[in-house]
Amino acid sequence: MLEDKKSYSNIFLNGIFNDNPIFRLALSMCPAVGISTNMMNGLLMGIAVLFVQFCSSLTISLIKDFIHPRIRIPTYTLTIATWVTVTDLVLAAFFPVAYKSLGIFVRLIVVFCFITMRLDVFARKNPVFPSLVDAVGMGMGFMLGMIAIGGVRELMGMGTLLGYDVLGFRPLLFFVLPASGFFVVGFMMAIFNYTEIVFNRRKRARRTAS
Amino acid sequence: MKEIIKITVGLTLTCLIAAAIMGGVFIVTAKAKKHNEYVNFQENMLKLLGFDQNNPAPESLQLCTVFRYLIYQADKTSLGYMLPIQNKDTDDKISYQLILVSIQGTFVAKYDLDISPTQANDGKDRAKAISAVLTEENTKIAFADQFIVAKNGDKRLAYLLPGKSPGFKTHINFMMALNASYSIVGLQILEHQEDPGLGAEIEQEYFKNQFTGKDVERLKTLKVIKEPLPDEQLKFLERHKWASDEFTSDEIEALQKKYQPKDICAITGATISTVAVVNGVKNVATKFVYRVKVLENIISKQNISVAF
Repeated sequence: MLEDKKSYSNIFLNGIFNDNPIFRLALSMCPAVGISTNMMNGLLMGIAVLFVQFCSSLTISLIKDFIHPRIRIPTYTLTIATWVTVTDLVLAAFFPVAYKSLGIFVRLIVVFCFITMRLDVFARKNPVFPSLVDAVGMGMGFMLGMIAIGGVRELMGMGTLLGYDVLGFRPLLFFVLPASGFFVVGFMMAIFNYTEIVFNRRKRARRTAS
Repeated sequence: MKEIIKITVGLTLTCLIAAAIMGGVFIVTAKAKKHNEYVNFQENMLKLLGFDQNNPAPESLQLCTVFRYLIYQADKTSLGYMLPIQNKDTDDKISYQLILVSIQGTFVAKYDLDISPTQANDGKDRAKAISAVLTEENTKIAFADQFIVAKNGDKRLAYLLPGKSPGFKTHINFMMALNASYSIVGLQILEHQEDPGLGAEIEQEYFKNQFTGKDVERLKTLKVIKEPLPDEQLKFLERHKWASDEFTSDEIEALQKKYQPKDICAITGATISTVAVVNGVKNVATKFVYRVKVLENIISKQNISVAF
């Protein structure tokens, strides 16, 4: 069923649009609110999550036949924890500059529920390659979401984007404070869902017309 | 029953494999990580002394570290200073001596330590060398802190003091430089986990440079005020970033004097982090000045040929 190319692109796009971890599934909201105070943090976090999701999906889809179904959740947690620790140690040792700004966030990835969810829902049941496509899609979806939220908060709070002065003044410091994370995520979720509804309605209309 | 055994074995095996992978990676990366921390520390020291890529440190620059230990012997507590000693007769080789000072600040004893300068950088080797000379029973030693004396030729450039202070989330590690008359010449934040955009602003030039020029007497009464930085002062504090040629050295000196009596302006939305740094700096600097005076006194009285 997954042989033709179309379904691979479907799996990939599924992670970005239909099953976007932040805006559609509303999973892993803690990092989305807590870390996205600026665009750079969002981007770095996204990259780290993408890497961990990729490696964990690979591992689980490779060893899925050996996992006892009763202990699959602890196994996922352990797999993710292992990869997170590996990422953390390697970053600290060989990329000290990146580690300086990423350090505390990397360890948080262990508790990201959407990674566990993807392992249980997808990687456990599918062969290696589709699992990897799915992992990249989900990771990209999360990363784009984080970049969008971080961008809005940084622009509104500090008047900058990726550290460059864009507006020249600070519109509302409130946007950098933790509480505003909920507002921004909420509004973006609404916009996302609204676009989706409009898009689907048009698609349905086109289908009925033809 | 069979099921339980299967699950137990499965889980144990998974844990063991995970532990093996993590342990392996840790062993591979541990050395590089330690080296990074060391390099970071060294870089910050040079930055505080005003040296960077464009203005490299001279060959004659010497950084002498003095380690302070708390030494508990039976019922009395004393301070142990591990000093680098330079023997003028035997080709300037550096050896180390331990000096015991009582809490009241009087000299107690002096020991020669068997430790090489490279070993002195390692905490475990130091502790071993010190316990080797303190043969009394029930002796406990605890590392307290360290300071670094930067020396160029025969001239003392600065005292570098690492310190830490409880910030908004975890400890803020910082290092400051005092000149020979004990006023601050620079402050660097080594490690912190404050919020980006708020508390993390303590890393910015405009905050760190506010401390420059404050002497010990001023530091004792230093406060945090909730006032915005005037534009003129902001421009002066961030001169390295925007306009390094705009001020002549006379102007810099005059402005430094003008801002010297001013308190530290709190960072918007991060008063706690600001207060944490200010208190840390006050604490470390005032205590250091008291201690170093006692130490200098003892060194001159006992005629110890220290390397700094």
